[in-house]
Amino acid sequence: MNKLTGKIVALETSPHMSMVDVDVDGDVFCSIVLETPASAAYLKQGQPVTLLFKEAEVSIGKNLSGLISLRNRFKGTVKQLEKSPILTKVFLEYKKGQVVSIISTRSAQKLALAPGDEVEWLVKTNEVSLLNEV
Amino acid sequence: MINLRLKRQMQTSRGPEWIDLDLSMASGGFVSLFGKSGAGKTTVLRMLAGLIPPQEGRIEVDGDVWFDSGRKINKPIQQRKVGFVFQDNCLFPHMTVRENLAYACLPGHHDGIQEWIGLMGLSGLEGRKPHQLSGGQKQRAALARALVGRPRMLLLDEPFSNLDRQARLELQDEIMRVYRKTRITMVLVSHDLWETFRMSEMIFVIDRGRITKNGSPDEVFVNNDLSGKFQFTGEVLDICKEGVVNILTLGIGHQITKVVAGDEEISDLKVGSMVIVAAKAFNPLLFKI
Repeated sequence: MNKLTGKIVALETSPHMSMVDVDVDGDVFCSIVLETPASAAYLKQGQPVTLLFKEAEVSIGKNLSGLISLRNRFKGTVKQLEKSPILTKVFLEYKKGQVVSIISTRSAQKLALAPGDEVEWLVKTNEVSLLNEV
Repeated sequence: MINLRLKRQMQTSRGPEWIDLDLSMASGGFVSLFGKSGAGKTTVLRMLAGLIPPQEGRIEVDGDVWFDSGRKINKPIQQRKVGFVFQDNCLFPHMTVRENLAYACLPGHHDGIQEWIGLMGLSGLEGRKPHQLSGGQKQRAALARALVGRPRMLLLDEPFSNLDRQARLELQDEIMRVYRKTRITMVLVSHDLWETFRMSEMIFVIDRGRITKNGSPDEVFVNNDLSGKFQFTGEVLDICKEGVVNILTLGIGHQITKVVAGDEEISDLKVGSMVIVAAKAFNPLLFKI
């Protein structure tokens, strides 16, 4: 599970849902949750939270161009690869920490991923959970 | 409002323990006392009904004092006007369904009997004796009998625990229908998370005679510090490394399921560990069964 800590900087709510913007070291992440400030008091500006997302929800792009619907798109550097027949675990340097992606070994080969590669990593807003940091 | 302040010693498998609680609930609501067996839930219900007295305390229902140890008030059960449905229905075995209802009926209100027989789906069964009914029918008859007495409060003590899944769901729906129709105060005692969550408006979690948590079902059961709405409690049954991931077999309720987890996620888990399984509410696929 990937964990990044940040602070809520903006909220957009509808009756049962919120789009939450979280600042992590200068990058803004978006998470959609089935909560509102009325049902979860921690949903407020300035609140420290941890972003949680599974490794398998992290996609990797190289030389991406064109438009894409994913809002969470950030730069990282491939640090290490761990391969198995079906899946490959990609360790990325991101800011001062690390983000791990699990993609198919076929994709890792197609992208010719190697340590030192500058890539973009992406995660959908509806795959990012929030944990209240009390 | 219903205000309870109760103190009473109870005998448990751990030895004598004290029930010591103070709670308020809105009258006309659906309230549950939730907890493990031996927590003191049934004893609280019995004190509320007037079946046993608190050693100290006060029970006040809409301004009417039912019990006050200081003022030596202890209204008898008949004056409290409560209906009771137990785990094992207490229908009189030698009486038919109709006779059981008539026995509990207030004088002059026998016209209500046929209505409750119809509402509880017992039409055609009113001439049968309890041993000629299924478990679900017996509990519906017990519910009808509790209601013909026109109670102001219905006390439900684990009424579903001896029923199979289908009968359990039907009786829950039946009780919810009665609740919406009559709006009488319902107090359910249960150790079943799902039925408590499904039926209640307000839940008091009781452990060793004390209230440890209270609030709406969401406030009590959903971990609001985590935004995942798809959340269960499960037990790790197996951990199997497969390439760069781990496949965990989990027991959740009566189901066995498998999830994929990273090394760091399972670092402090072993077979037998209890876990919260959470996912984003967007992911689950639903199929009608």
